Parts: sequence; C-alpha cells; structure tokens
Amino acid sequence: MLRSVRVTILLLGLVSGASPWLNATNYADAALARTFSPTSAVKKFTVRDEGADADLARTFSQTVRPFVTAYCMGCHSGASPAAGFDLQHYTTTESVIDDLDHWALVLRKLTAMEMPPRSMKQPPEDLRRQVTEWIMAARKNEARKNFGDPGFVPPRRLSNAEYNYTIRDLTGVDLRPAREFPVDPANQSGFDNSGESLTISPALMAKYLDAARRVADHLVLQPDGFSFAPYPMLVETDREKYPIQRIVDFYDRQPTDFSQYFEAAWRYKHRVALRLPAATLAGVAAQAKVAPRYLAMVWQALERTKEEVGPLVKLQAMWRELPAPKGNQPDLAHEGCVRMRDFVVKIRRHTEKLFTDMEAPGFNANFQPIAMFRNRQLADHRRDFDPSALRVEGKAPPQEFVVTRGPTFGNREAEELKMAVAAYAKERREDPDLVVPAGELARYEAAFARFSSLFPTAFCLRERGRFYPITSMDKGRFLGAGFHNVMGYFRDDTPLIELILDENGKKELDKLWEEFDFIADYTVRTYSQFIFNAGEGGGVRRNVDRPSQNEFATEAAIFRLRDQILAKAAPGTDPVILEAVKDYFDRTNTQIRWVERARMDAEQRSLDALLKFAARAYRRPLAPDESDDILAYYRELREKKDQRQLTHEEAMRASIASILTSPDFLYRVDLAPPDLGASAKSAHQHAANGRRPLSDYSLASRLSYFLWSSMPDETLLSHAAAGDLSKPAVLAAQVRRMLKDRRARALATEFGANWLDFRRFESHNAVDRERFPSFTNELREAMFEEPIRFITDLIQNDRPVQDLLYGDYTFVNGALAQHYGMPAAPGGQDEWFRVSDARAYGRGGLLPMAVFLTRNAPGLRTSPVKRGNWVARRVLGEVIPPPPPVVPELPHDESKSDLPVRELLAKHRENKMCASCHARFDSFGLAFEGYGPIGERRTKDLAGRPVDVHATFPGGVQGDGLDGLLAYIRDNREKDFLNNLSEKMLVFALGRSLLISDEPLLDAMQAKLAASGYKTSALIETIVTSPQFLNRRSPEFSQQSKTKIAQQKGGK
Amino acid sequence: MSDQMNPSSNPISRRAILRGAGVTLALPWLESFAAKAGAVGAEVFPKRFGVVFLGCGVNEDHWGSEGSGAEMKLSKSLSPLEPLKSKINVIHGLFNKGAMGLGIHPPQTGSLLTGATLTKGAALHSGISVDQMIASRMGQETLQPSMVLACEQAITGFHESNYSLAYSSHISWQSPNSPVPNEIYPSLAFDMLFENRGSLLNLSILDRVKDRAERLSRKISSSDNAKLDEFLTSVREVEKRVADMRKAKDKADDLAKLKNRPAWSMERPANGLPEDLREHARLMLDLIAIAFQTDKTRVATLLISRDLSAMYYPFLEVSQAHHGASHYNNNDEYERITRWHVSQFAYLASKLDSMPEGAGTVLDNSCLMFLSNLWIGRTHNNSRLPMALAGGLGGALQTGRTLDYRNAGDENRKACSLYLSLMDRMGIKLDRFGDADTRLERL
Repeated sequence: MLRSVRVTILLLGLVSGASPWLNATNYADAALARTFSPTSAVKKFTVRDEGADADLARTFSQTVRPFVTAYCMGCHSGASPAAGFDLQHYTTTESVIDDLDHWALVLRKLTAMEMPPRSMKQPPEDLRRQVTEWIMAARKNEARKNFGDPGFVPPRRLSNAEYNYTIRDLTGVDLRPAREFPVDPANQSGFDNSGESLTISPALMAKYLDAARRVADHLVLQPDGFSFAPYPMLVETDREKYPIQRIVDFYDRQPTDFSQYFEAAWRYKHRVALRLPAATLAGVAAQAKVAPRYLAMVWQALERTKEEVGPLVKLQAMWRELPAPKGNQPDLAHEGCVRMRDFVVKIRRHTEKLFTDMEAPGFNANFQPIAMFRNRQLADHRRDFDPSALRVEGKAPPQEFVVTRGPTFGNREAEELKMAVAAYAKERREDPDLVVPAGELARYEAAFARFSSLFPTAFCLRERGRFYPITSMDKGRFLGAGFHNVMGYFRDDTPLIELILDENGKKELDKLWEEFDFIADYTVRTYSQFIFNAGEGGGVRRNVDRPSQNEFATEAAIFRLRDQILAKAAPGTDPVILEAVKDYFDRTNTQIRWVERARMDAEQRSLDALLKFAARAYRRPLAPDESDDILAYYRELREKKDQRQLTHEEAMRASIASILTSPDFLYRVDLAPPDLGASAKSAHQHAANGRRPLSDYSLASRLSYFLWSSMPDETLLSHAAAGDLSKPAVLAAQVRRMLKDRRARALATEFGANWLDFRRFESHNAVDRERFPSFTNELREAMFEEPIRFITDLIQNDRPVQDLLYGDYTFVNGALAQHYGMPAAPGGQDEWFRVSDARAYGRGGLLPMAVFLTRNAPGLRTSPVKRGNWVARRVLGEVIPPPPPVVPELPHDESKSDLPVRELLAKHRENKMCASCHARFDSFGLAFEGYGPIGERRTKDLAGRPVDVHATFPGGVQGDGLDGLLAYIRDNREKDFLNNLSEKMLVFALGRSLLISDEPLLDAMQAKLAASGYKTSALIETIVTSPQFLNRRSPEFSQQSKTKIAQQKGGK
Repeated sequence: MSDQMNPSSNPISRRAILRGAGVTLALPWLESFAAKAGAVGAEVFPKRFGVVFLGCGVNEDHWGSEGSGAEMKLSKSLSPLEPLKSKINVIHGLFNKGAMGLGIHPPQTGSLLTGATLTKGAALHSGISVDQMIASRMGQETLQPSMVLACEQAITGFHESNYSLAYSSHISWQSPNSPVPNEIYPSLAFDMLFENRGSLLNLSILDRVKDRAERLSRKISSSDNAKLDEFLTSVREVEKRVADMRKAKDKADDLAKLKNRPAWSMERPANGLPEDLREHARLMLDLIAIAFQTDKTRVATLLISRDLSAMYYPFLEVSQAHHGASHYNNNDEYERITRWHVSQFAYLASKLDSMPEGAGTVLDNSCLMFLSNLWIGRTHNNSRLPMALAGGLGGALQTGRTLDYRNAGDENRKACSLYLSLMDRMGIKLDRFGDADTRLERL
C-alpha cells in the first residue's frame, strides 16, 4: 500500500510540480537556459531521480508482473500468442520502457475494460487501476527523464517539394526540376520531410545530377553577376528572346498613351469638383501613374500656351469641350481624351519626318550602313515634322512620299505594299488639318514645330519591319532594324528618355540594352551576317568567301573592310553617305570592343557572384577552404590540360551544377557549433545532458523549412549572422513575419495536404468521367486548391484552429462554385473568392470539402468506410489498425447494388470482429451520405434511393448529416482533434516521429493554444521555442535512448 | 515498432542494397549501354538515318531520272550518283502542304522535316523533325543521340515575311519551340563523338561532389554519417557506372575495329573553320561516316548550305552568292551548285558503301536523304521538292528506283508520308507524323 501511495504521490507531484522527491539538479550548460515556461507544471530541469525509478521497479515486480501473469499470459504467451502479442518477455521495467507503444495499447485496453475479455476471469477493480496507473507513471517518468530531448534527427535530403521550392527561391524562377523525380516515401505520420523515410539511391543521384545541369542551363551571365531565365539559354534564339523580352516588357510598362495624360490633366483641372482640392500636378501624375515631367508639359500646352494657328489650337478647343465631372461619374472625359489622342496621332503620322535610303552608285539598296543611317535619322527626328507635308492653299501639292525599296518576294506582297503606300500618301495629301492659308507658311511651320516637339511620332519603337512607316508587316520583329533577310536590331526610344523616364528609368533601360548585347552577342553576329551576306547587302563583290571566324571581328579587320568599301565608292558620292558608312563601322567596332571588355571584366564578378550563390545554396557562409575549392574547380575546368578547355560560361554552368549536386545543398544537416570543429571530443564537456544548441544557421534552415518548405531568406540569415536568432523575442517576430509571407502557403501544401492525405489529388483518377462529366481537370484542380486556400488563410490571418472544423466559410473559384451550387464569381472563371455563408450550401470548414469526399470514394459510389476512417484517423488522430486481409468487397457501382451502402455496412456492426474497429468510424462516413461520389450534394443515391444521413456515433450519440457530426465532435472529440493537430504539426516541424519525452511539450502546446484563443501562431511559437526545436542530440547520446512513437494516450 | 528509427543500426546491409542487385539508373544510355557492350558481336546491324540539305532549290531543267535498276537514267545534276544508282531511290513530286502559301523562304523551310504549320512572329513553333524523332527513340543506344551539323552559320532575327530566320537556318527540331543548334566547327563535332563532353563533365562534377561529401562527413558525427554514407555510396556508384560505360564504349570500338577492316580513323580537325568550303564539307561528311561506322550515332543531318544561303563557290566559277544565284536557277551556274551538292551526297554514300558490314556495307543498312526546301528558286516554287534516297535499311527499303508522285494527288504525295514509311522501316511505328497519317504508296 505504501508503494502505491508513493506512486500516487509521485504522480501528483509530477502534476502539481511540488514533489519533494524531485531533486532539481541544475546543469550549468547554456543550452538549458533555453527553455520555455509551460503553464502545466512540469519541472524545468532534466531530472535524474533514482527514487522514482526504484519505485517503478518495485511496483512492477510486486504488482504489475503478477497481474500480467495471472490475467493476461493465459492467452498472450506461448508459441502463438493472441494477436501476436507475447507478454511473457516483459520481465523488467526497462523492457516495458523499451516498448511503450505496445504498453499504451495495454493501457487503453485495460482502461476500456476490453481486456481481459468479458468471458475471462476479471481482475479486481483497484488492482486494474494500480496497473493502469503504473503504466501512466512509467510513461511520465520516462518523459520527465528525457525532457526536451531533441530526438535523433539525422541529416536528411530535401524532399522533392522542398527541392522545388528551394530552387525557386535560389534562382528566382520556378523551374520545378523535381517533377520527374520518383515520389518521396512518407514516414509513419504521413510526412515526407523526415530522415526516417527519405533515402537516396544511385538512380536518384543520377537524377539530381541531371536536374542540376538542367538548372545550370538556365544561367544568364550579366555584367555584374548572373541570373536565371525561365527557359534554357543554350540556343541562340533563346539567348536573344530573353533580353529582348525584358526590353519590350519595359517599354510596354511605360505610360506612353497621350490620352492618359489628357485625362490626368483633366483630373487636375477639375480637382475641386473631384473632391481633391489640394491635389498637385505631381500628385495627380503619381496617382494616374503617368510621368510627372511630361504631364506638366502637356498641362502647359493645354492650359497656358497661347497659340493662334496650327494643330494645338484645335487640340485646345477639344480640351475645352471636355465635359466637367458630374457627381460620381469621374470618367466622363475618357472618350473625349481618346478623341484628342487620335487627333494628335493622326497629325503626327501625317507630318512625320521620313527618310528613305540614300541612293549611291556602287552601293546596293539594302546596304546595311545606309539602312542604319536611315534608322538613325528617323530616330533622331521623332520630335520634328516634315514641312513638305503642309499644303499652302492654291499652291501645288507637295511631293509624293515614295517607298524606294520594293520587296523582292511574291507579287501579292508587292501589290499590298503598293496599295498601303498609296493609301498613306493619299491620307497625307488630303488631311484638311495640314492646309495653310497663303502667306502664313512661316507661322504655321513654327506652330507645327512646337506641336511636334511636344508630341513625338512615337516614344519608343518596339517593332519595326522593312517598310517603315508602313507598319502592316511589323508584327513580331521586335526591336528590329528592318533589314532584308538578315538579323539586325536598332534602339529607337529617344523621346521616351527625353520626355518620360526619370533617372532611374533611364539607367534601367540602358542597362537592359547593354545586357542585350552582353547576353546575345547580337552586334558581332549581325556584323558577321553583314559580311557573309555581303552579296545580299554589301554592295561589295567579294571573292574570298569565308575568312576564319576569329579574324573578321578584330578592330583591324573591321577598319580594313571599312577602308576597302570607302575606297570603292564612286567619285562624287555624297559625303553624307561616306560619313554614314564610316559611322557604321566605327559604331560596330566600338560596340564589339565594349562587349569583349565587358565580358572580360565580368569574369571576376561572375566568380564573386558564384561564391555568393554557393553561400545561399549551402544556407550558411562558406568556410575559406570551401571558397577556395569552388574557385579551384572553376580554374581546373578553364585550364584543363588534356581535354578541351571550357569557356567561362561553360565553366560557370558546371560550377553551378556541382554546387547544386553537393550534399551541402541537397542535405539538411543540423550542425551544432562543436560539430564544426575538428574535434568532436570537445563536445564532451557540453554533452552532459546529451544535447547541444543548433547553430543559428541550422536554426534558420529549420525554421524556414518548417514554415516555407524552402531555404531561409536574407532576413533570417542576417539574424543568424548577428547571432540573435535563438532569442525568444526574435524567434516570435520571425514566426509572425514568416507566416504572413506568401511562401507560408507551403505549410498548407506540405503540412496540410500530407496531414489530411490529399497531396496527390491532382492526379486522382478514380472518378468515372463518363458518369460524372463535370469532373474535369479544372474542377479537380479547384478541389485541390480549396483546402490549400482555406488553410493558408487560416494561418496568415491567425484564425482559431477550430475553424478547420466549424468554420462556416470556404474559398471557391468559378468551377468549384458551380459544383457547389454557389453563385458565380464577380471575376472570371479562375478567380478565387471567399464564401461566407457556405453552410447554406452544405459547406464550410474542411470536412465537407469535395476533395476529401472524392478522394475517399472509390468512384462510382460513396464510401462511408473510407470517409469515416479518414475523419477518425486523419482529423481526430485515432489509431485504427488496417483491415484484415480477407474482407468481402462492397459493390463497385452503387447504382447496381440492391441495397444501399448503409445497409451493407450494417454487417460491420453484426460481426464482433469487424465491429471492434468499424464501430469507431463508420458512423462518421454515414453522416456524409448526403454528398455523392464527387462530393456533390444529393438527396438520392445513384440508384435513385433517398439517402439517409442519420448516424449513431461512438458512445451512442445520435445525429444527422454534417451538422450532427460536427456537434458530436464538438461535444465529445474536440480535444482529440486539437491533440492530433498538435502532434502532427510537431512531427512535421521536427522531422521525426514523436517520443515519450515530447508529451510535456504537447501539453504545453495545448495550454498555449487554449490561452491564446486557439490561434495557429501559438502552436507554432511553442514549437519553435522548445528545446526539441532549438537543440540537437550530442553524437555520443544519439544512439542511447530508444526512440519510440508516442501513440494516442490512455483510453476513452 | 520500426527499424526505420535506427538507420545506422544496419549500415552494411543498407550499402549492400544500394550497390547490389541491379539498381537501374535513370540515365538510359548508361543501362542500355551496359547491356550493349556484350551484344556487339550480334549479327543484327543498326539502321542509320542521315539527311543532307541543299538550300534554295535546284536547276529544274537538269533534275530528273527515268527508269529503274541498271537502265536508270540520271540527269546532269544527279550524275554524281551514277556509280551508286542501284542503291538509290530518286523521288519526284513530294511536298509539304503546310509550307505553301505562307510567304517565301523561312516558312518554306521551317517545317521541311516536321510537317508542321509554322507561326509568324517572335515565338518559334514548328514540330519535332523526323531525324530527332528517330533519335529520341534510338538515341539512347549510342553515345550521341544525333549529330546536327552545318557548313554555314545560322542566322536569327526576322525575315520580312514575319517568320523567324531561325526557320531558315535549322532543319532539325528537338521540340516545337527549339531547333537543335547546328555545329559548324569540325573540331567540336569531332569532340562530340570522341570525348562526349556530357559524360566527362558529369564525371568531373561527381568527383568534386564526392570530395565535398567526404569533407562534410569528416566534420560531422558518426551517427549522422549514416545518411551521408548513403549519399557517398550513391555518388560513387553513379561515378563508377559512367566510367564503366566509357570503358565499355572503348571496348566496343576496339571490337568494331577488329570485326571490320581497321576502322577508318580520323584525326581531330584543326580548330576554327576551314577556309575552303570543299574541305569543310568533306570533314563533316567524314565525321558522319565514321560516326555511323563505329555506331557512335545513328542519326545525322548536314546543312551544306542553308536556306537564304550566302555561300560562295569560286571553285565552281560561280560569281554570285548562293541565294542570289538561285534567283537565276535555270542558269548553268546554279546547275553547277546543285550538282556539287549532289556530289557531296554521293561522297558520303560511297564512303559508307566502302565500309563492309556483315554481308553488305554500312550504306546497305542506312538511309541517307538528300533534299532541298524549294524546287525552283526564282519563283520560290515549293509545290514539289527535289529528293533522293541512298541505302536500303538492311533490306527493308527497295532501291534502284525512280518514284514519281507528281500526279498522285495532294493526299498521296506528302513528304510526311515518306517520313512515316521510313520510320516504319527503322522500327518506329507512329500513327501520324506532321500532316500525314498514311504511309507513302509504292515505297
């Protein structure tokens, strides 16, 4: 009796925290200072208490073992013990501790009075109680002894999802190389981010190597470092496409539509009526997203400039006619502004100063230097006008504009071009706004000059064909120079720079153009085509057909060719042409030399960038020998003795591929500072309690892979560098920041989708699409996305976790809304929006989401068994063993079965063997009978029988449908849900299965959760500030204590 | 209860599992090569496919053939094929409907071997070309899946028809959006065959990675090392397989040399581009021949001149550049250009015919295709394409014939039907290719 009293007191002591027997032995180790203060009263320090151990041992031999012998071993021993469970060999306390999960089962069976079976001899009440209390005490003792044990968390490779996210964050492009990797196996809790289940094989290694090289193929070298393109950059066409696209995107982002400026000016003019009396022109420009400098100029022209003749007069008249704003219709002026713009564009189109290729004897009409010269003239005169476009009344009409270079291709194109030219000339000729009264020419010309200076013919030219200004053939020839049959690019954006861009914009654009040549090498390639196509456009007869590639682009060769060509010009050739030719060669040479120099200069910067990349990839600073290694490898590739030496770019790619194949990248190794030294023996002094604090860098990785499934970002790494990451305040702040980041979506996909077992739903194929034609790929995608959005929203807005069950809202897009019978989205089919009254449609929270109902249905009928099992196991965390091997099949197709599923399942309850498990969850599934095989709401099943959603839940509670189930859970099982959520999240965060010693942490999580209003952040913060998360086991102790899974605690 | 909890409790068996029992690698060329190394002595010879391309069409007055077998008469431009006429098929009248009516040059060339309908503008979109389709099915069995060579630089940028000039520069397409870049340097093409930079570089990377892993494992504790052990073992295993594959390749070469007469060998060409086009072409053709003979590849394409070619032929006494000359294609100058290209084709065919293989020659087990993207350059007519085949694909293809489809009707004279039929005879059966889903009659 005394023994059991002591045990009881021990128990009480543990619970109340006031036990006199517990010797609190302080350890000076700094690691222990890193603790948390749970509201449950488990002692702070790791305790070694021989007293408790001895008590347990005594009670075991005096009470427990005799009990087992008397009441259990009759069946549970011998050659074939019942249920394969042999209790005979548990002869000591240690043997029980070694196998606590089986003994948890023992505890549950005993408490639930399921064992010994009713038919066998029953033990006295208090004896049963002593044994169950002993088991509980043994668990608690074990937990206490190993309090805060970080557990054995080996180095583990990145899971496929982590690999993809990491590559995304490392390169800036979501390349998803792991798409083709084999699916990762999960650990026992269903997560694939644990060293327990993640292994590597030569096959996977080969895939990593291949993936690394493919990522490296996306490398884009730049003058100041490198970046990655969304597609491989190996083929010339791609190397041009990428920088061209960036420039065109930049142009497209600029405000170049005149009507935008007119509208902004109008807003400023009517600022009082628009309720913004204090608005400034600059402020209006910012709000309308137009260039402030240009807006000021336009304002000046519309409001202040006094013009008596010319197009501005008409424009000002149109301006004054714009309606004033009326009440809440601020956009009344829009159409008028568009008309104004159209007027300006028309005037400028008809007064554009055009240039044609200058003719010169001996020079082919397509001669590139002359064509370039023409482009340059056009580009430099966009703010000028052509005086010959003006027609003086009574005088002869001006010269026709003529296109001198006809196409040499099919007749149809020649005809089209002729017609287009004729139409254009006619427009110019017949424009009434270009008529000048006699004697006024000078005044009109001055007015037109002012107008043209303000309104350029174009701010920038993103496309140019061969027959500018006839633009019908321009499409797709981005940044083109308009050459015939050969490549050529030309920058034509002077008005953009003069009028629209600010200093930063100008710098950015210049950089984009510089990088264009740096990346795509287009000047030297254009020049090469100019030479080798000299017969096409060179105008110079060349009989030497192919000078060696390396020599044609030297400065000497370029100038030599220039001089040759100039020498061949006929005497009396217009000096302008000669100057144009010289200019072409000079510019080409300057540009080619610039690219050469830039490439050489950039090499060193590439290497600097390479080292920075490696540090980011390794998720920690490089040690000096590591930097040296990386550079040495690069050098080796460049200076190979017996093979072809690699170019700078090839060597960079190979270096990057090798970084991405290194274990430092592929593996997450939790380093604790003594690990990093040569001597692990120095760890001894710290290892007294068996654990060491993680280095801040390892902690940063742990944190980021927990919350983002990806690498740490700059902020985390700078905290690690500063050494303050492990401070509780910093940790809490980081957690809050990280949960708000959009990368936290990974918690929903990696944690949520694995916890609730729908990770692979995007490839779910069990639905018969002929019977369910609404189940398209789009609907399937939407179904998958719904819980992701829900969980992400929960996390980022820190809602109470019970919303997962009882929330009466959800998120849908067009396809899903249709499936649920909800009204369509205001936006398009793909817009996602929140539905706040989802309950009215039978939705809200996780349980009735179509993804789960479909995933847990075999395709042509519902499966209350699967659905119920999912609720019990996944949501409530109940441990349910798998079914026995021989189980009669339920009918495949509900419509073809005689009985409704419900009645077939009744068999489960008749047979005791089946009932023992099925009674625990069938009812949950039956409550969902009002949802069909793809989660659609229904009142009749596929055979036309009305569905019955009544269910009798475990313990006898009755209920109907979803509401009934939720009420049952709320009243009876909510604790299970919360415990389960905590456990699963802890497993995910730690990357290992749980130990007995984690139970106090779980208690603390529950307490914190309740105290905070059940917010997710409370769970997460408790986890990341726990000793389990902040430390790792010292190597010497890694193998010692047995690792066991903490199963569901004592019975219900 | 699980042993997974203690992975380091059984390190030896884990390693054994990784290393032992036929773990196949993801990289197919490794595993199937290992199998192949034993099979070199087998009597079934691989079938090869080659394409030689002439840009801008032929001189239509001198391109023709009549009759079959020994009585076949070849026109002037085809006369270089006279000694081989029992092993050739001259095909008249095939075309690509999708290449007509879109504009001249690039849209007439980009789909030559793909049968796709091209798109205008910045985005490239053709299809997979027949040679790359074959390479994708057979390529894993050889060191190089295919060789794509050219004697003339590619051009990019746009043509005024608003199709990319990339269509004019490439006839081999590995995916609809991506042409296979042409190798124009003989020295680099040589390296591709004899050094396989791919696997060498892999070895170099693996070596370095192994280093990293060894260093890392010295830094961390022994219990943590179990996982890194796994990594290291995997790296070593992949390394070993790459090295073994290279050794097996060399061994196969040696065997090949012994089987046939001494494998006609080649020194690495000088870096850079040969000055003379004749030398350039010869080097490239020699490379293809040796690659076929030693089974380093079974698919090769050579653009001697691309579409819109700017090449000069001073040795043919032609003063105009190729494209310009094609605008007067019924002149003697252009006939000489055409005939010279055919002579290069004949050079390759006869070289392969001089290499014994089994009861026949390498040519007998191959199919070489000569073609151009246009028929008449001065009118940009591509309503029929000039085409000749050499080689019998191991007896699967009857040779020594004139095949005339000019009046067969548009549905029955598709170039893609020919490609389907040729692929059939190489053991690749597809339902459709390009714009054709039927085979070519009478082939």
